[in-house]
Amino acid sequence: MMKTLETVRQLAVTTQNEYLASAKASGRRIMGYFCAYIPEEIIHAAGCVPYRMRAVQSPNTTLGDTWFSSINCTFVRHIFDKALRHEFDFLDGIVFSNGCDHLRRVYDNWRYAGLSNPFLHMFVTPHVINDSAVRQYRHECLAFKESLERHLGIVISEQALQDSIRWYNRKRTLLKEIYELRKSKAIPIKGSELLAVMLSITAMPVENAVEILERLLSETTGRDVSSRGDIRVFLAAGHMEEIDHLELLEGCGAVIAGDNLCMGLRHFDGLVGDGDDALASIADRYLRHISCPRMINDFQRRLDHVKQVCKDYAIEAVILEKMKFCDLWGGEAFIWRNEFKKTGFPILVLERELHGGSTGQIRTRVQAFFEQVRNRQVHDEFVQAAGKNYRLK
Amino acid sequence: MLKPLEYLSLIQRRLWLIKVMGFFPRLTWLGMQLARPLYVDHETSLNRTLRYGMMTLGAGKLPPEEITTYVMGFNAMRRNFKQAMNARKDGVPLVWVQWILSSEIIAAFGARALNAELLNVFGNVVSAATPSELIAEAESIGVPVEYCSALKLSIGAYVLGQTPEPDLIVRASQPCDTSISSYQIMEYLTGAPAFTFDAPYWKDGPSFEYYEQVMWDFIAFMEHHLGRQIDWDRLREIITRVNEFNFYLHEVTEMMRARPSPCSMITLLMQWVMREITIGDPEITASAREVYKIVKDRFEKGVGVVKKEKIRVIWWNPPFAFFTYVFKWMEHEFGAVVVNDFIGQCQMPQIDTSSNETMVRDLAKSHLYLAMGRQCHGPVEYITDELKRALESFNADCLIFAGHNGCQHGWAVGRIFKDICKKAKIPALILNADIMDQRHMPEKEIKREITEFFRSTGLA
Repeated sequence: MMKTLETVRQLAVTTQNEYLASAKASGRRIMGYFCAYIPEEIIHAAGCVPYRMRAVQSPNTTLGDTWFSSINCTFVRHIFDKALRHEFDFLDGIVFSNGCDHLRRVYDNWRYAGLSNPFLHMFVTPHVINDSAVRQYRHECLAFKESLERHLGIVISEQALQDSIRWYNRKRTLLKEIYELRKSKAIPIKGSELLAVMLSITAMPVENAVEILERLLSETTGRDVSSRGDIRVFLAAGHMEEIDHLELLEGCGAVIAGDNLCMGLRHFDGLVGDGDDALASIADRYLRHISCPRMINDFQRRLDHVKQVCKDYAIEAVILEKMKFCDLWGGEAFIWRNEFKKTGFPILVLERELHGGSTGQIRTRVQAFFEQVRNRQVHDEFVQAAGKNYRLK
Repeated sequence: MLKPLEYLSLIQRRLWLIKVMGFFPRLTWLGMQLARPLYVDHETSLNRTLRYGMMTLGAGKLPPEEITTYVMGFNAMRRNFKQAMNARKDGVPLVWVQWILSSEIIAAFGARALNAELLNVFGNVVSAATPSELIAEAESIGVPVEYCSALKLSIGAYVLGQTPEPDLIVRASQPCDTSISSYQIMEYLTGAPAFTFDAPYWKDGPSFEYYEQVMWDFIAFMEHHLGRQIDWDRLREIITRVNEFNFYLHEVTEMMRARPSPCSMITLLMQWVMREITIGDPEITASAREVYKIVKDRFEKGVGVVKKEKIRVIWWNPPFAFFTYVFKWMEHEFGAVVVNDFIGQCQMPQIDTSSNETMVRDLAKSHLYLAMGRQCHGPVEYITDELKRALESFNADCLIFAGHNGCQHGWAVGRIFKDICKKAKIPALILNADIMDQRHMPEKEIKREITEFFRSTGLA
């Protein structure tokens, strides 16, 4: 394994790391945030380090379960468990999200439990994509900026925002370049490795993230991690942080060539424009980038996107994963399954618990699915070879 | 094999029967009293399509004067169902409206509105098993089982051809993820253009301004798809009636602070459901006016809805759609009156009809105060503050929390609810049920749990 990938692999499986410690030592505050719809640029422009909330190293949900119920998703239960164990006390603030029902109630329970982070802010993202919603999102950005300014006793200048935008756009551009390497037949980086990259670069200052991505880009060029017979897979899901889970899929013969994940495409899709009004540019990018199923009026665009990626990246099968009790991805799965059924394109819908194990069951399902995909490919090749002489029995 | 709209036709016929009964309220009341042994205990093949209606009309425990008000509301509903079923034939656009929204604007465009979730409640008219069958149908085609059953049922009803095809869909981004998700499925299945009322998280100036803009966007959406302009005079007329309706319900809500309570919550609940389905219908406003007069008369005389009020109950979460009779049953068995709840208590602000702009502004604001939406679009305080007020101002003896299986955000703050009751020193019964699907907790089990609760806490 390459040096940079080894580094990010280690960073990805820990809650804290030396980059955060060093940033903190230099006087920068660490701000946790929950969702791909929260603008990192504003946190960065306030001199803080945005830290994507994660449940890695969480052994169980024992404490979290005393606040949340068994019909809440395991992401929030793990997160709250960690919070109650004071594993997020190093965060100087947390920016919550109305991303979904489970997540928005984290904000309520966090306050009610009196956890000690000094800055708590609910960032509200509209559930639709249109001009009125973009204007509302800009207003939300302004409220967030003012809230940070009040709390930190600073002024976030337009120049600081523009500088932050440039940093994050650089990060997005590098990620896009790395992701697009997967268009080729020889895939230079595994899905599990990319997830580790995403986990690590969302838990460090963007300046360090850019440096790591630049190194990674040069190291991965010319590499090939796919084997003959691997199935090129598009993976769609909400929050995902289990590297071992993706390794399991890869162990069954998948090579992940495209995705729509919180910690994947949705993190870097689209650049923030360079207009004079930084907040307006931020609003435009964050609300119009490839959406998650929480965006109620955008399922057709998500469908069009996956179909286009399937063409551009020579995808052979789609895997859509939902966490148990995630209504949003459950509904998306319904639509995708029905849509793909029309063309017979292979799709597998998997349900899982975060860090929930069940590896045996998942492996069996994925293996069986891949077998179907391969059988179909053999069948299709046979039909093509037979040409017009082929007759259905 | 079901015929298209078979259930809706049957429901409409039963509502017609109720209309006839409404001409003889005393006789109806007496008949239902005498016939109680034939239907109150359980459903049989003989009482199947009549039982739910009779139970909802109080099974002889609702005073005759109140029966009249129910009948007026049911008449308005029957008209709504009939108009929805005939919309295509009449060449009038039909708009599905999510139940958490209100349809004043749609009516002002001359379109017909149909509450897409009406079979959640009225499916029970067909039989007690019907809602569960519709839910099972949705699950069988791949709708997530963990969805709120209300939305599963609506999808199942559509797939089975029991809801008229919509020309347009109007939905909201609240109260929960199931709504957000399932209405995408409905848009996908029906192919009808959909408009989303994107509810803000807070109730403050900027949020109201945003929602006002959403309302203007909605008017533009309707104009675009219907190819006609809104009739502002018609809107004003509808809103005037809605204002009047809201005033009556608000007053009745307040009068229920009195001990003994002059009204039962089921009456307000039914009024609210009728209002949601038949917004702006003159008969529904007349019905609310009658309720107000009856309750005011009792209030002024110091008379309660039951002869001897023993327990004052706060009912939290929506009621059981399949067991609306539970309110009258508690009154009858224990003298327990539900004096406040989550849905029926009215908190609607009045709408200024002085100009088109004020109507749109206030209509937008009022949509954030509709039952359930009011509590669920924002932080937990929008629920808990209301609960605390209800516990304090209505002299409650206990709380019954009708836990709904699919309500993920509700269960996520269960600990906070329990703490509030503990601090208020109010005994609370938390029912682990499903408000639409009685397979989780049937009538008999609900009765047993409530009985045990009243007895074990010394209230009965």
